[in-house]
Amino acid sequence: MTIYSRGETLLQVKDLSLYYDNKCILCDINFSIDDIIRPGIQQGQVVSVIGRSGIGKTQLFRTLSGLQQPDKGQILVRASQDTTPFEAPSLRTGLPWTLRPVHAGDMGVIFQNYYQFGWRTIEQSLRLAAHRNKTLKGMENDAIKEYAAQFGLSDVLKRYPRQLSGGQQQRVSIIQQLLKGSDFLLLDEPFSGLDVCVLDKVVSLLLKVSLSHEFKTLIIVSHDIPTAVAISDTVFILGKKDGQEGSTIVRTIDLMERGLAWEKNVAERKEFAETIREIKLCL
Amino acid sequence: MFRPFEKISRTTFLTLVALEAIVFLSLWQSLPAGLIPSPLKIGEGLGGLITSSLLWDNVLVSLVLTLKALFFSVLITLLFSYLSVVPFFRPIAQFIIKCRYLTLTGLIFIFTLLTRDGSQLKLSLLVFGIVPFFTTSFMSVILQTNAQEFELCQTLGYTRWQCLYEVIIVGKADQVFEIVRQNFAIAWMMITMVEGLSMSEGGIGTLLIKYNKYNDLVHVIALQTVIFGLGLFFDYLLGILRHWFFPYTKL
Repeated sequence: MTIYSRGETLLQVKDLSLYYDNKCILCDINFSIDDIIRPGIQQGQVVSVIGRSGIGKTQLFRTLSGLQQPDKGQILVRASQDTTPFEAPSLRTGLPWTLRPVHAGDMGVIFQNYYQFGWRTIEQSLRLAAHRNKTLKGMENDAIKEYAAQFGLSDVLKRYPRQLSGGQQQRVSIIQQLLKGSDFLLLDEPFSGLDVCVLDKVVSLLLKVSLSHEFKTLIIVSHDIPTAVAISDTVFILGKKDGQEGSTIVRTIDLMERGLAWEKNVAERKEFAETIREIKLCL
Repeated sequence: MFRPFEKISRTTFLTLVALEAIVFLSLWQSLPAGLIPSPLKIGEGLGGLITSSLLWDNVLVSLVLTLKALFFSVLITLLFSYLSVVPFFRPIAQFIIKCRYLTLTGLIFIFTLLTRDGSQLKLSLLVFGIVPFFTTSFMSVILQTNAQEFELCQTLGYTRWQCLYEVIIVGKADQVFEIVRQNFAIAWMMITMVEGLSMSEGGIGTLLIKYNKYNDLVHVIALQTVIFGLGLFFDYLLGILRHWFFPYTKL
């Protein structure tokens, strides 16, 4: 069993409800994401929000990102500190932080179709994001080059989004949000429509991102249960409770407790298959 | 070639255009002589016009006026279209759009009172005529903006004014060229009308009115051919400029 402990709360969703035409779409959603501390390892957090199609995942995604205001309740995030993207995890022990309501721009958002400005080259788009990050001041170009090299995009910096493949566009979206410097990265259906080879690459890419900083927190909204579970440490299941109009978190599964987090080839284990079955029963 | 949605090459298309034009002109030429001059006679008239300085002097006058009018029209259009995303200014932009239902003829006297001379009168009438059409087109571009463009800006932490700059001013700059290209025909069509109001400075409109007055149909149609050709040339030029300034429009 891997040794870990829970630190401060990084994100808290409190009594969140969202209505559409007086109909409750999301009702009384409560969950929190804590800093996971592993001795000697810089480890971010990867949580998945899983639910069936049409259950309200996209609405929850938009609300979490601050693009849509909830009708009730609130989403609180750790007030960001000026930290460089790859700063050492020593920060976790020292400075206390407070939670404040989320605003659009607090979270790095990667949309399902990896939307980018069609009129900007990849380099220009990345520069726009890098300029938002105070910690990169004066080093924007170096950071862009470094990320592009890491993510295998050095050759496409001068191209426009339309000249890129879907996989390249996804990597550009991820780099863009990383350059912006948010601790939170919100991904909408990142595994949707990917073939097996690309899927593996995306999974390792996300794991790499999660390890880039202690506070880096990936929130994956997906209906691809096995892939999402395989890379997460916690799973929130969005579903409907008996007699309730809208969707809510019906179950939280702590994969660390079950020894299913941060494990290679976890999908081959019996406990993993049982967990998948358990999740399916909750949907 | 006769099936719906059939794809043809550019060469095939150009050959089709040439063939259909030849068939049309041949049919026209074979018609019995009447009031409408034959293509050959028009061709002779066109040859005479092209070699005369009369045509080019007048074309130059009209072109300068059109370009001036386009310049001011684009400035006014952009100003009010950009501001239309601010609720306070939206009624003004909406009013400008509705102004396209106004006829210029009824406003000539008011414009005469408001302007100093014939040159200003022509320019202001042209601008007044063009701006509502430009604004209508550009407002439609703004309204059709993909919501994800704003959302991406917001997720990058942009303020609303920064979103306006990135998504509308920078992001739609290529559309300005496209709108000018599409609406250039309106300016070109109106110039012949406004030049008739103040004929002292000349222009192709003035020339056209003079030829019409004497029922010189050969030169009227020859001049129309020149106007048509110049229109096509500017359409092509603006298209080239758009691709040159905004290379992503070619993708």
